[in-house]
Amino acid sequence: MLKKKDLEKLAELARMDLDGKGEEKLLKDLDKILDYFGELKEANTEGIVPMAGGTASENIFREDSADLNVDKNKAIEAFPENSGGYLKVPPVF
Amino acid sequence: MHFNDITIKSFHDSLKNGEFKAFEVVRELFDKIKKEDVKIHSFLTLLEEEAVEQAERVDLDLASGKDISILSGVPLAIKDNMLIEGSRATAGSRILENYVSSYDATVVGKLKKEGAIFLGKTNMDEFAMGSSTENSAFGVTRNPYDPERVPGGSSGGSAAAIAANFALGAFGSDTGGSIREPAAFCGVVGFKPTYGSVSRFGLIAMASSLDQIGPFAKTVEDAEILFDAIRGVDPFDATSVKKDFFPENDLKKIKELRIGLPKEYFIDGLSADVKNGVEEAIAKLKTLGFKFKEISLPHTKYALSVYYIIMPAEVSANLARFDGIRYDRIKDISKSKNGRSMLQEIYFKNRGERFGAEVRRRILLGAFVLSAGYYDAYYAKAQKVRRLVRNDFDEAFKKVDVILTPVTATSAFKIGEKADDPLAMYLSDIFTIPVNLAGLPGISIPVKKYEIGGKELPVGFQLIGKHFREADIFGIGKQYEKI
Repeated sequence: MLKKKDLEKLAELARMDLDGKGEEKLLKDLDKILDYFGELKEANTEGIVPMAGGTASENIFREDSADLNVDKNKAIEAFPENSGGYLKVPPVF
Repeated sequence: MHFNDITIKSFHDSLKNGEFKAFEVVRELFDKIKKEDVKIHSFLTLLEEEAVEQAERVDLDLASGKDISILSGVPLAIKDNMLIEGSRATAGSRILENYVSSYDATVVGKLKKEGAIFLGKTNMDEFAMGSSTENSAFGVTRNPYDPERVPGGSSGGSAAAIAANFALGAFGSDTGGSIREPAAFCGVVGFKPTYGSVSRFGLIAMASSLDQIGPFAKTVEDAEILFDAIRGVDPFDATSVKKDFFPENDLKKIKELRIGLPKEYFIDGLSADVKNGVEEAIAKLKTLGFKFKEISLPHTKYALSVYYIIMPAEVSANLARFDGIRYDRIKDISKSKNGRSMLQEIYFKNRGERFGAEVRRRILLGAFVLSAGYYDAYYAKAQKVRRLVRNDFDEAFKKVDVILTPVTATSAFKIGEKADDPLAMYLSDIFTIPVNLAGLPGISIPVKKYEIGGKELPVGFQLIGKHFREADIFGIGKQYEKI
């Protein structure tokens, strides 16, 4: 059973404010979902190699060159705030 | 012009024969969309100016006697999680409400080279998380067959746009069924390629080991044409494979393909219309001479749990990039009261306020299954069972060439019906999720041609192929739609 404290810890890890009022429903939903996962316990996975991704390809390399054709100005324009060709960020300290 | 009866193939022929101009088609489509999409809401952004310009280019090429590609001038709709340079890409989320992409997704670049026309960007569940398109921050999309019902999701806007005859083809992304389920609900063809067939570069990532881009179309033949245009290796997506990796198929061989029916998919929970529809499809394929065989995929029942552990884990990592600084931000965040730094305050506020409920739920779930003390019981266990699900398919494909299943357990459900119960919503994808876990190609094909305004809701059936054997399921699908 997840507790309110656990939920707050997870939200802290995920860098996300919880809005307060939805927390009880969220806890109930998460509990129901985690309870459902319980069925995995019965699956025998002894000696099974975990499937860590969607592909069997390994060690795919490409030349270490800048060949993505993005217009620098467009990239800067796409940033929420910019000035004189620089990206502007809010004060963070 | 009767746009409703036109396919990509017939459009191309008519355009070349001078029966209409690309410009006229585009004008007519925008008139139709502006009039009719008010009630369906399949589009989030229309790209009218760019579309008209591209249509004029195609008409000029034709007038000057140039040979045009099969997709030249073909009007398409693109899910709003794929980037088109200079256009808004929201992924259905407030956190990207004002984001304009500065480059093209690889698939978009390829389609541009073919001369295709982008009518606009389509509505979707926020960050592709949902099975109904009710989770969009910009409002629900309605099913053209019944406006009280969902179009399915997460690519609901793209599926609805085809069903409503707003476009000849559309693109979506499929992580656990997000192309095939809406295709089934909207009576159109939806195809999820083998993992690695299509570059994901420029697709806003949800769960990277499962995501794959694929087409929606009116026919299997059109879906194959659209797939041919986008597949192939891309240096910007290390999981993508070369085009010549795909074996071809001839008609004689297709007739010899053996089709498996997994007993775990034909459960009591199937609604009567789905059960009858899938049986009808099987009967028709039998009249074409296809041989069927019952098979077993014993770990099917674990697929949903595996998916809802692995996917949120990947979601929690992929969505960490939305930091409230890079893409869009809440202005005037004030210094915190609770000892947080300004940077933390920006994070917590932006992510807390601008992610919707389902996105937050999955991020938290992902953080949980990856956290110390729970990792082995959930994430590591799920990765092992994922292997078992895949092994089931490998075993089955020794006995049969293609697998046929229902796409969904019911036809389109009512708007609001499952909105408050996440687990019930998750269960909408039980027949499509295993295909993503195993990385296989799957296609959803309507059992028959459904009439908008008719009594029946569309039902689809799913064909699942071996890795990179898309030719097998296209081949059977094309035979099926000829009946």
